[in-house]
Amino acid sequence: MKIFSSIAIRAPLLAAALLSATGGVAGEAPPADPLRSVQWENMYGLYLAGRPVVFDNRVLVLAPQAAENSLEVPVLVDAGALGRVEKILVIADLNPLPKVLEFYPRESRARIGFRVKLQQSTPIRAAVLTADDKVWHVGGVWVDAAGGGCTAPSVGSGGADWVARLGQVHGRLWDRGAEQSRLRFDVIHPMDTGLASGIPVFHVENIEIRDQDQLLAEIRPFEPVSENPVFTLDLPGRGAVQIRGRDNNGNRFRASVPPPAAAGKAASGAAR
Amino acid sequence: MNNNYLSGVSVAGATALLTVMLAAPAQAAVSDSDIANDAKTTGDVVTWGMGLQGQRYSPLKKINTENVKNMVPAWVFSYGGEKQRGQEAQPVVHDGRMFVTASYSRLYAIDAKTGEELWQYDHRLPDGILPCCDVVNRGAALYGDLVIFGTLDAQLVALNQDTGKVVWKEKIDDFKAGYSFTAAPIIVKGMVVTGVSGGEFGIVGRVEARDAKTGKMVWVRPTVEGHMGTKDGKENGVTGKVNATWPGDMWKTGGAAPWLGGAYDADTNLIFYGTGNPAPWNAHTRPGDNLYSTSTVAINPDTGKIVWHYQYTPNDGWDYDGVNELVSFDSGGKKLAGHADRNGFFYVLDRTNGKLVNAFPFVKQIDWAKGIDLKTGRPMETGVRAGDPTKSADGKKGETIFVAPSFLGGKNWMPMAYSPDTNLFYVPANEWGMDLWNEPVTYKKGAAYLGAGFTIKPLNEDYIGALRAIDPNSGKIVWEYKNNAPLWGGVMTTGGGLVFTGTPEGYLKAFDAKTGKELWKFQTGSGVVGCPITWEMDGEQYVAVPSGWGGAVPLWGGDVAKKVKYLNQGGSLWVFKLPAS
Repeated sequence: MKIFSSIAIRAPLLAAALLSATGGVAGEAPPADPLRSVQWENMYGLYLAGRPVVFDNRVLVLAPQAAENSLEVPVLVDAGALGRVEKILVIADLNPLPKVLEFYPRESRARIGFRVKLQQSTPIRAAVLTADDKVWHVGGVWVDAAGGGCTAPSVGSGGADWVARLGQVHGRLWDRGAEQSRLRFDVIHPMDTGLASGIPVFHVENIEIRDQDQLLAEIRPFEPVSENPVFTLDLPGRGAVQIRGRDNNGNRFRASVPPPAAAGKAASGAAR
Repeated sequence: MNNNYLSGVSVAGATALLTVMLAAPAQAAVSDSDIANDAKTTGDVVTWGMGLQGQRYSPLKKINTENVKNMVPAWVFSYGGEKQRGQEAQPVVHDGRMFVTASYSRLYAIDAKTGEELWQYDHRLPDGILPCCDVVNRGAALYGDLVIFGTLDAQLVALNQDTGKVVWKEKIDDFKAGYSFTAAPIIVKGMVVTGVSGGEFGIVGRVEARDAKTGKMVWVRPTVEGHMGTKDGKENGVTGKVNATWPGDMWKTGGAAPWLGGAYDADTNLIFYGTGNPAPWNAHTRPGDNLYSTSTVAINPDTGKIVWHYQYTPNDGWDYDGVNELVSFDSGGKKLAGHADRNGFFYVLDRTNGKLVNAFPFVKQIDWAKGIDLKTGRPMETGVRAGDPTKSADGKKGETIFVAPSFLGGKNWMPMAYSPDTNLFYVPANEWGMDLWNEPVTYKKGAAYLGAGFTIKPLNEDYIGALRAIDPNSGKIVWEYKNNAPLWGGVMTTGGGLVFTGTPEGYLKAFDAKTGKELWKFQTGSGVVGCPITWEMDGEQYVAVPSGWGGAVPLWGGDVAKKVKYLNQGGSLWVFKLPAS
């Protein structure tokens, strides 16, 4: 609760700074929320105000209608139809810590799969900032959840030896044709929200995906991303990639993922 | 053969990281000259020891013997959380901000004027940490825009002073082998200098210097003979000579952990680090002096090599350790240094070469030695040593002895102060003894490596703790203040003629530095085992001290428990000043 309240206190300042910096839309009311969330105006003020905001069906957010497991709700955001995207901000309005992650697609498609902890039924939104006109395009869905996902201790915290596997990365690339590949990887990390009693906030805060030449994509996860986070991205090219990241305690992890196997081989591996 | 989608795996463990800070610091950075002049500049306290020589003397005199009776709280800050335990830190303060560490590897940045929290860092600790003597931390170091502290799982963390974000983090060693870290780092010539804790687990002690801006290792100096040092990643000479003072392979798990903070003397360009007990406690397993355990080692920061050493308790069989601070002072045109050892003797050394100048008892009862031979620098032992278990009837337990001081020492970790005004040391002493016996022991990674059993007993009905003003030239105790419970907090003295220290009973107290008369006290609500500081802000003098009972006494205190069992835990920082006139 501590972190949440500090965010809330600082929010008006942040919003004011953004407004004055862009000089534009001060005083504009947020557009009406198609999801009819009681938190929408707050979310707008906290994260979006200062840029034009439109609700846009081209921002696809796929998530189950009801969460089977509030600790691990799968979500896919796809804003590939919008053209060049600067960043995607994912928020869960009714989580005690609404900010889920930021995704900077850079050279990759504006599409990311991940899993999130939910404290109660909530909209999950993706706000997509387009690169050229700097407009927030917002899409989202309601997910029904029994709750408690953010204030429960991580499963890893229950084991005495969680630190032994901390920062291990497993990943694989699949050939998607047309000089494209799909990357899925996970990172062993408790992703503690700081809301479970006696367990400090402890989460991966930055992940970069690179090929030999350049930064392909960047993910900035926050507390609500599920324990041992799993991410799925669509990358350009068909070569090996490097994954580098760190958490808020300064623990660093690094892994390289070999190029996609030949199509037949990959299929047989995946079939099992 | 892996056959799920996670095959083709590459794994990398967690290691340290450097990042480029994007934001410029909002506040003035802590410079090398801020650190070098810390003892003289009254507007801040940026080093452990209130100056790298460790005198814990401030020239401030706005609060003095005349007006200290009027001192009142300015603010109090709660560390919060469900975990409390001992609060042994010395806060640091710079440019209107205070940084203080707390139990369980927590660090707080606080507005020094209002007491409001700026940010907080809670290190995520694994469950299997092995601190021997409570989950304490003794303070942080400031350098540039960084605040650097060590954690109970033996990591060194550097955070941005403005944001509390981790800038770099380095693993000191494997906490599962018993390594830990509780001291305050010091900054010397742009390097962050640290030791290690874990002497009770048979680790190998070492002093390390890293680039303070990046965390990159510069040099490593082991404190047990036979182990290779390094500098810039290359071999830099073995410490001592293999098997000169250790038998067989015992040096490989020799302990000698430099677990308390160090000091630096610019006059001699030497880092002074105290080293802990040789491992295991059972001295019969390791005949010889066991260098460089229970010593002060003087290390040249430019070379990472030991220039001189002085050993206080050769072949330590009582866990007397030698880790206590060596405080530089000048007297009669000589460059000297004072050290109050757990073994009950106060030593005055020539800090240019480590030669003994003077040694005398600072506690009332010392059973293990008659004195220290000023010619040889060695103790004149009485023979009061725990019996060899291998010579006992069943081979399981040696003869039990009673010996004073106890292993918690005539003085433990809590730092003393030296006043250049009175030329006196102010030593937080304790009077206690112990029953001690030895048992057979073998080394096992991560398991306590003692080979000894003990119970601690008070020597007097009416007190254990005694704050003593000691003349390093004459060896005389000029005054003393007796305290019912053992003293476990740091001492500070000021140009205002005052000596400050805390008591487990919860008081921060101020004494007349010349007479020992108690002039002021304040009940902080929990035992004071932290280190007070003082500084000046907006023309007013402030005094700060952490409050929160804990440390080794309640864990290992034996019969002492009846004097401390009613004391409650806490976790707060108190700041005092004179009322507005």
